[in-house]
Amino acid sequence: MSFSNVSSDLIWEITRNQNSFLVKAKDCAGGVQFSRDPYNLTNQHSRTHAGFVNDKALSIVANEKGGVKVTSKKAGASNKPASGVSTVTFGNTTARKTYKNVARLAAKNHYRPDLRAAAVSRASAIRASQRTPKADPEKKLRGNAAKKAASA
Amino acid sequence: MASRPTVTIIGADGKATGATEVLPKVFGAPIRPDIVQHVHTGMAKNKRQPYSVSEKAGHQTSAESWGTGRAVARIPRVSGGGTHRAGQAAFGNMCRSGRMFAPTKIWRKWHIKINQGQKRFATASALAASAVTPLLMARGHQVATVPEVPLVVDSASFSGAAYAKTAAALALLQAVGAGADVEKAKQSKKLRAGKGKMRGRRHRQRRGPLVVYSPAVDGKELVKGFRNIPGVETSPVDALNLLQLAPGGHLGRFIVWTSAAIKELDSVYDSKQGFALPSNVVSQSDLTRLINSSEIQTVLNGPKGEARTKRGHVQKKNPLKNKQIMLRQNPYASTFAKEHLGEVKANNGKPTPLSAAFKELHKEI
Amino acid sequence: MVSAKKHVPIVKKHTKKFSRHQSDRFKCVKANWRKPKGIDNRVRRRFKGQAVMPGIGYGSNKKTRHMMPSGHKAFLVSNVKDIELLLMHNKTFAAEIAHNVSSRKRIDIIARAKQLSVKVTNSKAKVTTEV
Repeated sequence: MSFSNVSSDLIWEITRNQNSFLVKAKDCAGGVQFSRDPYNLTNQHSRTHAGFVNDKALSIVANEKGGVKVTSKKAGASNKPASGVSTVTFGNTTARKTYKNVARLAAKNHYRPDLRAAAVSRASAIRASQRTPKADPEKKLRGNAAKKAASA
Repeated sequence: MASRPTVTIIGADGKATGATEVLPKVFGAPIRPDIVQHVHTGMAKNKRQPYSVSEKAGHQTSAESWGTGRAVARIPRVSGGGTHRAGQAAFGNMCRSGRMFAPTKIWRKWHIKINQGQKRFATASALAASAVTPLLMARGHQVATVPEVPLVVDSASFSGAAYAKTAAALALLQAVGAGADVEKAKQSKKLRAGKGKMRGRRHRQRRGPLVVYSPAVDGKELVKGFRNIPGVETSPVDALNLLQLAPGGHLGRFIVWTSAAIKELDSVYDSKQGFALPSNVVSQSDLTRLINSSEIQTVLNGPKGEARTKRGHVQKKNPLKNKQIMLRQNPYASTFAKEHLGEVKANNGKPTPLSAAFKELHKEI
Repeated sequence: MVSAKKHVPIVKKHTKKFSRHQSDRFKCVKANWRKPKGIDNRVRRRFKGQAVMPGIGYGSNKKTRHMMPSGHKAFLVSNVKDIELLLMHNKTFAAEIAHNVSSRKRIDIIARAKQLSVKVTNSKAKVTTEV
């Protein structure tokens, strides 16, 4: 932050009602508020997870070649968007190694220990989404169609 | 503030020139979305042109009410005969071809006067917000490729009308990392929903970066270069406009400064007579730092009670099922259980017969 | 397709529609609920045998409010970007594709939902054809 007139608390108060990442479910899902912020691990619109507001935040996205790509913000470099982040990729290693590394990134040096669980579960969800989905089980015939099939 | 923060100056190739510039004081102004929004709503109204329906609309008939007694409503009715129009209701806003309710007038209060001090406050606030990356992102600007916010481009590259051509201007924006935002604005052009399409507001599109320049140093030729890039606007540093600094009343416009403009910004504010830059009511807005500061920590009371306090009447527990609750209520229960006192039979032998001596004694009495 | 998180049983305290008083008697009175305001109105005065009026007491348990029988809440999506939001919430939210999404785009949405194991409530709509 350049001047002391701004802080993440102030930014949150300014942007919590409306910002470009916010997705408000109007008439569905009980008015839930999601966030498209890449630095939001749970996609929930909340102070903890609002990564663009916080000085320290993690972004976990799918890596093109499998695995996950973790980007973390460098604390105190918020006015340098291009260089103020560091990216690590965890390719197609075992799940356990990925989670360990992600957890370490989140919690090491007191970076954001509160995000550790969210970070690991996001990495896990991304890994699960990279698997080829199972084919749907074949529909069982019911009623008349089943009778017809049995007699045939 | 001991040392004022500085900003690096980026060359036209997108690399830092090595030179730095002290950030103008206006970037330390308080960020007040409430004031900016209020001023913006007023200012946005000042470009309106009066419109109204015709004064005569709905009244170009000599309708008169029929009065009571004819089993119809007392609304004025068109006189005469020989046409279907005769006898139809007129004038009222509920009538077909009547006038509208409260016909619009050209003397509506179209323009709003805003106090100059408020306008200047709002502009200063919007400028301060334009240096805060999260606010830029919250406005929707694509700033991930920008080397530094506020983005200051060396004025040397602007000399000699270097950006009088759009291709050169676009190349500059792309070189300094603003290409993504320009591209986003370009892609966002969509047809407007509704009737605005036929009222001169055919398309709607996002705003891209705002190029702020110093007319004295950078010249005005760059305006021609930038004006045809979709979403990009230009503004001279001595005529900054809130409608450009905070479009829609939303703080955090992405601004590309020329180094001459940012150098001039302090003098622009010094020359505004009778206006002092607003100061922050709270000098430290970081809540965590406030709470953890020694000043606050020293006056805080220690935590009351035990580390683990007994919860009050939360849920009634059944002592017959919950051993701990039973022990709390009946400390003897443990001994009772340990020695199996519940299983011991009461000695139900026959009562010992009375001694003969007692009987004798009893008889005598 | 992932099943929903475990939840307390969904109890609907009143499953019938609350219909407007006398909407059964007149065609011009629609069934949409309007609170009777008349001074003598027997529904308003809650006489025995009259239609019940909606009230706050009929509200669902907050924990199961907006929940479908499957235990999910339906979240309206219009594109693939929207469905990415549910990456971490596939046990609480199910996607519901907006009515004005073409069948071509529906296929993309459903495929992505399958990868993220997000339930799509209307996955059959507009993409299956009758034989």
